[in-house]
Amino acid sequence: MNGINKQTANALIWLMLLTMPYWMGAIGGYTELGSRVIVLGLAAMALNFLLGFTGVLSFGHAAYFGLGAYGTAMTIKYLVPSTPLAILVGVIVGTIAAAIIGALIVKRRGTYFAMVTIAFGQVFYFVAFRWNEVTGGDDGLTGWTRQALHLGFANIDILGNDKAFYYLALAVFAVAVGIMALLLRSPFGRTLIAIRENEQRARFLGIAVEQHIWLAFVISCLFASLAGALYALLNNFTDPRALRWDLSGNFVIMAVLGGMRSFWGPLVGAAIFVVLQDYVSSHTENWMSFIGMFFVLVVLFFPRGVLGIIKRKVAQ
Amino acid sequence: MANQNSSDKTIGRRSVLKAAAAASVLQLGAPFIRKASAAEPVLIGLDNPLTGTYAINGKNELNGCELAIEQINAKGGILGRPAKLLVEDSTSGDAGTAVQKARKLIERDKVNFLVGNINSALALAMAQVAYEKGVLHIVPGGHTDAITGATCHWNVFRVCNTTQMEANAVAGTLIKDFGKKWYYITPDYAFGHTLQAGMEKAAAALGGTKVGGDLTPLGTTDFSSYLIKAQAAKPDVIIFLVQGDDMLNALKQAVQFGLDKRIHLAGAQQEMEPLEGLSPEARIGTWVFEWYWNQPGVPHVAEFVAAIKKKTGRVPTARTWFGFVSTWTCALAANTAKSLDAVKMAKALQDFKLPPEIALMPNGAFYRAGQNQLIGDLYVGNAQAKGSAPDDLFHVTNVVKGTDVAGTLAETGCKMVWPA
Repeated sequence: MNGINKQTANALIWLMLLTMPYWMGAIGGYTELGSRVIVLGLAAMALNFLLGFTGVLSFGHAAYFGLGAYGTAMTIKYLVPSTPLAILVGVIVGTIAAAIIGALIVKRRGTYFAMVTIAFGQVFYFVAFRWNEVTGGDDGLTGWTRQALHLGFANIDILGNDKAFYYLALAVFAVAVGIMALLLRSPFGRTLIAIRENEQRARFLGIAVEQHIWLAFVISCLFASLAGALYALLNNFTDPRALRWDLSGNFVIMAVLGGMRSFWGPLVGAAIFVVLQDYVSSHTENWMSFIGMFFVLVVLFFPRGVLGIIKRKVAQ
Repeated sequence: MANQNSSDKTIGRRSVLKAAAAASVLQLGAPFIRKASAAEPVLIGLDNPLTGTYAINGKNELNGCELAIEQINAKGGILGRPAKLLVEDSTSGDAGTAVQKARKLIERDKVNFLVGNINSALALAMAQVAYEKGVLHIVPGGHTDAITGATCHWNVFRVCNTTQMEANAVAGTLIKDFGKKWYYITPDYAFGHTLQAGMEKAAAALGGTKVGGDLTPLGTTDFSSYLIKAQAAKPDVIIFLVQGDDMLNALKQAVQFGLDKRIHLAGAQQEMEPLEGLSPEARIGTWVFEWYWNQPGVPHVAEFVAAIKKKTGRVPTARTWFGFVSTWTCALAANTAKSLDAVKMAKALQDFKLPPEIALMPNGAFYRAGQNQLIGDLYVGNAQAKGSAPDDLFHVTNVVKGTDVAGTLAETGCKMVWPA
């Protein structure tokens, strides 16, 4: 029964994602909003790979998200006008930074780990903020746009056609999410969950805990920088805010809001966060208090997040 | 069976919660279903900060926009259709949100005009969206030179001055009246660096020199070490380019040190909003205002001040005027071009002179062709502890013509490309 439920849920989620541009308009949304949900959802799911499945809280994921964004933007602006290559460069830059920083901080736990990730994240923020000649500083990096995709058989204009960009983002999202799901099902993923549940016991079993956490951190940051690359392409712009700690905080909020114990939870959280922000901020300038209140309510009464509530109901 | 019963109970409570949630979603959802009316309004989308650092400036711009909408509709609207303002909060610093809101206004709400932003970075990001979509975009108050300089676009117009124009305007007065040796206290980020480069360039052209300078980190609260260093360099003028709270702190401490008695204090851009936050004794120094409410003898200004006072209870600031002019520009562009086609409207605005009741300046204001920059008057003067009225915080000593400080078109770096 449970297996069937899971498959139906998966099919339902993919069906909704695939048809999103066609029903968003009818409920007062727009394609761009859908793309934003996908991109921020991917970032939150990447964070959750570490937070929900390895049990390590990072408050500095925006750094790698932003490095992906800057890597992509600077490749198109300064090097080659090619969208796939730019995404690749963005991901490589973010992942290398994560591999180096991860190695330095992997021995820290709990709050200390979170604090150090913020500190390293802010280093990148200030570099981008100050290095005017290269990053454009506080004004951000403008004067470039995402480039049309040249596939052997067709040219796809992802700049002028919002739906085309949505489906590009969705395709990238699908591949990334597929790899994450496979990893979590593999022995490696099970080991991560074992570390989350009881680190000491895992250590006694002979598991190399530090190496596993380091690898989980790097994989998580790889997907975060992939999301950052898509975010830069979505906005045709990037600025130091994409690296700042408050964006890292937003990723954590999305993950917790949706439910950090479930695979799809962060996507649900991102959808709620983005849509709520979009709707409520059109009506009141105090929109942040509404999101804050909603978050407090979820954390107090539904610690497993929105998806946790739905799951429990389905199980009953 | 027992399980079944218990779940029945929980569903009962849950469905109440669900119904409540659904009802509240409906409250939010309903206004989004746009109703077709007899005369479909012309939509102006304002994507500007309402929260964060620039919230107060943003509110003032919004007040100006709202007054303009009232006046436009009272005078027959845009091409005979009513004008309507759609307002979105861009936040003060998040370009992602500003871009998203710009697309929301253009794609979903199908606005005819886009207005914003105070933050230069957000204005640049929005300009790119507007350019991509071919929508007429008016930037009310983002000062970075690039908007009507290196990254200018045929569809992007700006009301406030460039930082270079402000530097040029104040430099002449400072050199003539106070001396040629300057010391700079500059915030350490893109905007500060640009501003200082602009001031140095303007001073050098008039024979001024730099005797020293400090880059202060954003959020500095203690300026004493910088002020002591500045004093030791024996400049004629200390130029404060710090903004916001940093400026409040720097000026307060300069006054506590008694620096204002020995060295002339000055800066580039100054606004009503921060002056209101300063204690009277710290309202000192020579600055440039982009618009000021107390302009005796200039026609229509008194009516504008009275209308804003009636609406908000306070005098208009330069920000109010920016919003007012931006919104009126939309209506004037459409009514002059007799069309809502963006290219035709942008063409109509080339070298377009604002009518005096909107320019509200002694020498008028016009959008310079080939750059889309509004060139009006700049007001150089002193911040003052006490003026003719409680709201009179600035004493204008000379009005500088924008045409004298705007430089040539080639100097701006703008190379305008029109759609074929």
